[in-house]
Amino acid sequence: MAGLASDYDMSALGELRTLGQKKIAGGSKEKKENKAAYLFLLPWFLGLSVITGGPMLASLYLSLTKYNLLQPPEFIGLGNFARMLTDERLHNSLGVTFTYVFVSVPIQLAMGLALAVLLNRGLRGLSFYRSVFYLPSLLGSSVAIAVLWKQVFGTNGLMNDFLGLFGIAGHGWISDPATALSTLITLNVWTFGAPMIIFLAGLRQVPAMYLEAAKVDGASRWQTFVKITLPLLSPIIFFNLVLQIIHAFQSFTQAFIISGGNGGPADSTLFYTLYLYNRGFANFDMGYASAMAWFLLVIIGVFTAINFWASKYWVFYDD
Amino acid sequence: MVFIALAATTALMLTACVRSGGGTDAATLSDEPVTLTFTWWGNDLRTAATNEVIAAFEKENPNITIEGQFSDWVGYWDKLATATAANDTPDIMQMDEKYIATYGERGALLDLNGTGDAIDLSDFPESALATGEIDGGRYGIPTALNSQAIVVNPDLFEQAGVALPDDRDWTWEDFTTLGAQLSAGGGGDSFGVQTWGFEDGSLRTWARQAGDALYTDGEVSIETETVKDWFEYMLAMVDDGVMPPASTVVEKLSAGQAESMTATNRAGMATWWNSQLTALADSSGAPLRIMRVPTPDGGADGSAYYKTSMFWSVSSRTEHPAEAALFLDFLANSETAGDIMLTERGVPANEKIREHIKPKLSPNDVSVVEFLDDLADGIGEVEPVTPAGASAMEGLLSPFTEQVLFGQATPAQAAEGFVAALKSAVAAG
Repeated sequence: MAGLASDYDMSALGELRTLGQKKIAGGSKEKKENKAAYLFLLPWFLGLSVITGGPMLASLYLSLTKYNLLQPPEFIGLGNFARMLTDERLHNSLGVTFTYVFVSVPIQLAMGLALAVLLNRGLRGLSFYRSVFYLPSLLGSSVAIAVLWKQVFGTNGLMNDFLGLFGIAGHGWISDPATALSTLITLNVWTFGAPMIIFLAGLRQVPAMYLEAAKVDGASRWQTFVKITLPLLSPIIFFNLVLQIIHAFQSFTQAFIISGGNGGPADSTLFYTLYLYNRGFANFDMGYASAMAWFLLVIIGVFTAINFWASKYWVFYDD
Repeated sequence: MVFIALAATTALMLTACVRSGGGTDAATLSDEPVTLTFTWWGNDLRTAATNEVIAAFEKENPNITIEGQFSDWVGYWDKLATATAANDTPDIMQMDEKYIATYGERGALLDLNGTGDAIDLSDFPESALATGEIDGGRYGIPTALNSQAIVVNPDLFEQAGVALPDDRDWTWEDFTTLGAQLSAGGGGDSFGVQTWGFEDGSLRTWARQAGDALYTDGEVSIETETVKDWFEYMLAMVDDGVMPPASTVVEKLSAGQAESMTATNRAGMATWWNSQLTALADSSGAPLRIMRVPTPDGGADGSAYYKTSMFWSVSSRTEHPAEAALFLDFLANSETAGDIMLTERGVPANEKIREHIKPKLSPNDVSVVEFLDDLADGIGEVEPVTPAGASAMEGLLSPFTEQVLFGQATPAQAAEGFVAALKSAVAAG
């Protein structure tokens, strides 16, 4: 899972670079730069085809089989996919995952953007704050933080100690199905640093002359932000949105550690990936788990496609 | 990420399948240095003792190096599944009753009948040996025997002003009555009963007392009604404050044995395996005692059973079956190993070793052995082995138990859901 985070960071930088290039590059120069970009992408592409591509093909085949890990797979066609239709725990896990993605990502992005705007106003010690806010993104999906979270939100944890100062009665946040998922959502929101950094870079590229012109015309700060900054920043918002949605759909470590591996209590934190893992490695139902993995790919694909389609209506490219 | 995890194992697996399932001829010992990998689950006490056994074996057999690895219960099975799929199964492993059919029937374990007479089994009772046999293959040597027991904390009884019960005739009704008194005496700090509704052994015992059985002939046979009653009993304990609130119960689930309410002197009574007494008493510092499990109308009804606490098994893909067998023989028959391990893994199934270690036991260990010897009149039929596919039974059970605890499902709904889930797991296995 740690490798995943760095993949994103690298592709994020690549994307930023191309966004930046779009402005300066024109005509034949573009082709030359594309070549260079492909060259830089080559190591990543090799990794993709060898380390990810092969296993993906294998899992595509396995999704059509009954496979218990210990014996050779047995071909059953679309049987696993048919079973998924009637699997109530699977449907529940989809509900949990959708809630997680569509609650935590907007809040996370809003926080990232708000702080980026704040930091962009020429704060002293900017690099210090930037690092401090970015730190959680580096740690957020790690086992250590999940363990820490478990302590903080436990019955005898820091959260309850803090609430106790105000005379509010404590509560086992993680062990109550009504609040367990919220603690995981909070954890994801807390990692707002990665989109924040990208927003910050985007804000730097908003031409000062537009802002000055608006000021001269008597626009308020809010009007300037909504009418000038946001449209110019929309490609960056879009990029962050796509990235964070994909990322959130694949969340695993946090729920695995915090729920002790079973997505409890009462399946309230049973992320799709966690259920997939349990089917594969605890129930030895690896054919089904592979089918689930492919279905997840389709879900993520669909949401990314919707995102791209919708982007036509709100993303503004200043070419 | 999912794909990488799934498929890295599967790609390796495709090559691995080809080799599985071979019964090896009684192999000869190698002249070259041999290294064997050996894994177990357990607490620190066990790990220290096991490392000592390894050292003793290596001293007797300088040619052989044993690389020991341990993890906690949950991590152990995840690790073993992935390692096995990746053709990297440890040579020797500690195996559980819930998993032996899953691994054995699918060819991941060596049929120890094929190792000739390298492992001496003459001091093991036939009934114990039978628990490691599946379809004529011998996939595990029983390490030790256990039985379900109630671990009682006399300090908390005293604090609540309640007399200890006579476990020869107590009923489930007595159990909750006492529990309520203990909770009242604990003032919200300690409770009568630690937890309920999450353990395989506890459900099996409950089923046996109802004339039912969790499994019969490799199939799920328990009646929904039995599970419903079991959940209802739990719900009554939560409502009456015999058990702690639901969220405390859930929080304690993922904590280790040393942080359990029994080990931290916060539960007057709790279901455990009898051999866990030593480690629990060690953590708690209180004079904990083990008692028989209550029955519906008091008195022995043959519902108790011996569970093989664990097995020693060998991977079917080991390159050194002879050396592995030699080590198993050491674990099973050596007095040195017996002296080191004592009853930490349960009461030794090897009767000669059981006699041999008796004088060396601590008072807690003695009560563990005596409990089992004494239980003989309450022991009924052999409990059927967990069928392949049902290994993760407790993982399937916990969501349903939690739904009942948090009022999201009635005991009847949860019972129906659980039985259906378990049946489909066995069908898929």
